[in-house]
Amino acid sequence: MLSAGPAFAHAPVPGVRGFYVGLLHPFSTPAQALLMLGLGLLVGHLALPTAGRQLVLFFVAAIAGLVAGQGTGALDLLMFGAAFAASATAALLPGRLVPLVALLVALGGFCIGAVSVPDPGPAADRLFVMSGSIVGATVGLLFLVGIVDVIRDRYNWPWVGIALRIAAAWVAAIALLMLALGVAGAPAG
Amino acid sequence: MTIRSTYALPAMLALLALVADPALAHSGDGYGGGFIAGFTHPILGWDHVAAMVAVGLWGAFLGAPAIWILPIVFPLVMAFGAVLGILGVPVPAVETGIALSAVVLGLMILFAVKPPIWVAAVIVGAFAIFHGYAHGTELPATVNAFAYAVGFVISTGLLHLIGIGFGLLVRWPGGRVAVRGAGGVISLAGVAFLTGMA
Repeated sequence: MLSAGPAFAHAPVPGVRGFYVGLLHPFSTPAQALLMLGLGLLVGHLALPTAGRQLVLFFVAAIAGLVAGQGTGALDLLMFGAAFAASATAALLPGRLVPLVALLVALGGFCIGAVSVPDPGPAADRLFVMSGSIVGATVGLLFLVGIVDVIRDRYNWPWVGIALRIAAAWVAAIALLMLALGVAGAPAG
Repeated sequence: MTIRSTYALPAMLALLALVADPALAHSGDGYGGGFIAGFTHPILGWDHVAAMVAVGLWGAFLGAPAIWILPIVFPLVMAFGAVLGILGVPVPAVETGIALSAVVLGLMILFAVKPPIWVAAVIVGAFAIFHGYAHGTELPATVNAFAYAVGFVISTGLLHLIGIGFGLLVRWPGGRVAVRGAGGVISLAGVAFLTGMA
């Protein structure tokens, strides 16, 4: 056993590592993680058909961002701002102002897509990474929205709604702090 | 086992615990250090603790919708105060404002004052600016800023929840007295902060 080498039952699919790297990319920086969390709390308060349309909008906006983006971290401040706006709206006016929600979802999706463009390299590898990022972002948001919706649907206690709104207020506060630190030029973690 | 050994072993362990140096397995930087620094910052300042708990107490005392509006308003406005601190915008009499927050919020609870919800939100929000400003200016330069922000927002929120939990005792006559008494204690503590006695 000590001298045995590892058994490789499957040859890895070429490029699949990049796909997995892309899957986690939408949650890999504070700006992206806060934005995704804020959007999840925001869209999760909508009725399911409306929430479904917002998810489609997010997907389309992320694709547009991917096409237009440069893959730099220059959008961090914008993402912190969008995360604050989304979370503050979820805290103060949950389930309302659908046009504003759509605007924030589109902005958030565009930003997530724009910062998901990988460094220059072989086109196939880049395509795998970008595909992973789009899938990770869309499925990630779907899960966040689903979790909020299930919590609201399954547990009818009044404090559950309060807890979700307080959580949104906390996310908004953190995003606003990070925005200020970014504007002040401090390292944002 | 004899009586002597029964007491000797715990006594030796206690002695060892007292004389032992702390084990520092991790340095204070990075995400963990930043989170701990942020989480403990509001807890280690009694003036902050008194005011945060008072916000929760008053919210519970006022009932719905204040019970959720005040803990939502506070972190949002507190973050705005922290922004002012981080950006170096001058705000006068910050320490006085923090001490006054304990005095005023404590008195509101003690005398069972029930203003319109927007008035309560304005009062709480005004004091939140001072607390946030202090947090913003005291942000350590050496820790991870994101982890620090997460830590201190969660810590502040948990202090509110402690206040809300205790404040829910107002459903019972004895609990109502206890909550109003707690308001009095917070107000007295605020006076001590204000006069430099604490």
